[in-house]
Amino acid sequence: MRNSGAVLILTFITNLISQAAGVSSPGKPRLTSCRSPEKETFTCWWEPGDDGGLPTTYALYYRLENSETVYECPDYRTAGENSCFFNKNDTSLWINYNITVVATNALGKNISEPVEVDVVYIVQPNTPENVTAVVMEDQSYFVKVTWEKPRTADTRSGWITLLYQLRVKQEKDKEWEEYDAGMQKYYNVFSLHPGKEYMVQVRCKPDHGFWSEWTQTSYVKMPDYIPRERSLWII
Amino acid sequence: CAHGPSGCHVPSLADLFDRVIQHSARMHSLSNDLHSEFEQYFLPSKNHIGKIYRKCHTSNILTPNGKENAQKLAREELTEVILKLLLAWRDPLFQLHQSMAHQQDFNSFSSNKALEMGDMAHELRKGVEKVTEKMRVLGMLGNSVTGLSAPEAMLPISDSGEAMSDYELLYCFRRDSNKIQNYLKILKCRIVPEHDC
Repeated sequence: MRNSGAVLILTFITNLISQAAGVSSPGKPRLTSCRSPEKETFTCWWEPGDDGGLPTTYALYYRLENSETVYECPDYRTAGENSCFFNKNDTSLWINYNITVVATNALGKNISEPVEVDVVYIVQPNTPENVTAVVMEDQSYFVKVTWEKPRTADTRSGWITLLYQLRVKQEKDKEWEEYDAGMQKYYNVFSLHPGKEYMVQVRCKPDHGFWSEWTQTSYVKMPDYIPRERSLWII
Repeated sequence: CAHGPSGCHVPSLADLFDRVIQHSARMHSLSNDLHSEFEQYFLPSKNHIGKIYRKCHTSNILTPNGKENAQKLAREELTEVILKLLLAWRDPLFQLHQSMAHQQDFNSFSSNKALEMGDMAHELRKGVEKVTEKMRVLGMLGNSVTGLSAPEAMLPISDSGEAMSDYELLYCFRRDSNKIQNYLKILKCRIVPEHDC
């Protein structure tokens, strides 16, 4: 009892001092997102709250569905600042992870709202790779766009299936034209204007999940030719 | 076939696989839709999202929880897991439809979806059985896929002995139908690997 009384008085004094010094216990951190690029690993990110003007540390804890055991984040480094990376061994599907982040400084702790995650439903692949856009000629001109799957996605084993989409526009255009390529890794774009340069981007999506970002723009210039239908008019 | 074996197209194993995979994808989408309808319309007021997940009645079926585990299973074992899951949902899906059809809260649209899911699970099971048979005939599968005639007392009763709510059933089915789809794809790519699969 004497001990707890002493602690109480101490806390009171610390509070007084800290108020005078303009420091406080940390604000509430916030889990912002969790994402798995290939259904085999995943990462969660958080936004640190106010640090109360003191050195503050952050720890991520998780608990699996139907279990009371609490684990700490296995890897704070791989995915950069304010993140936790779960490697293959720490990633299970079809089970909910209950995740929280705790901020701690000399004056106290603050805990984020918990987030429930089933890895199956947070899959967002990396962008497709090696996008090329080449002008082809077969009676008329068209652009053949090809790409490869993101390296990390194991489509070969059937573990993940990706659908692709591409979009095309001229620099001056406001709107993109979008095309669904399905599971194919190429797409032929017809009826582009001769002599114009086009921008091409590709993205992919697993069957139940989120679209990747669009790839960096690839450029392709259509040759300057007289389109057929117009050449008829000239004749 | 009316015109003899030459008159009709016999689907290849790859075709059969594609069909069951497509079917399982549709079934899972349906469960996804219905699950989000539940969350949207009924749960906010009851405030139990993400809180009371009791064990699913299929939790005693050991299912691989990641790619490597799924790949470690023999073809026969993976096939058996798929069939066991499908069989375990036969009665519960029927029950789910019954329960939804009798509640005023649901529009007929939702309870029809539940009915459709039940039918799809049934058809899918028949389909997977056909694929299994074909694999066996082609010598790609041993005879050890067994134990499916006797359902393992799979009534949708949770560990605590209470009947599971419609929402819990739906939650569990959404998960299991996703597993089924994934396992079917892994199985297909192992048995009929085509270019990028």
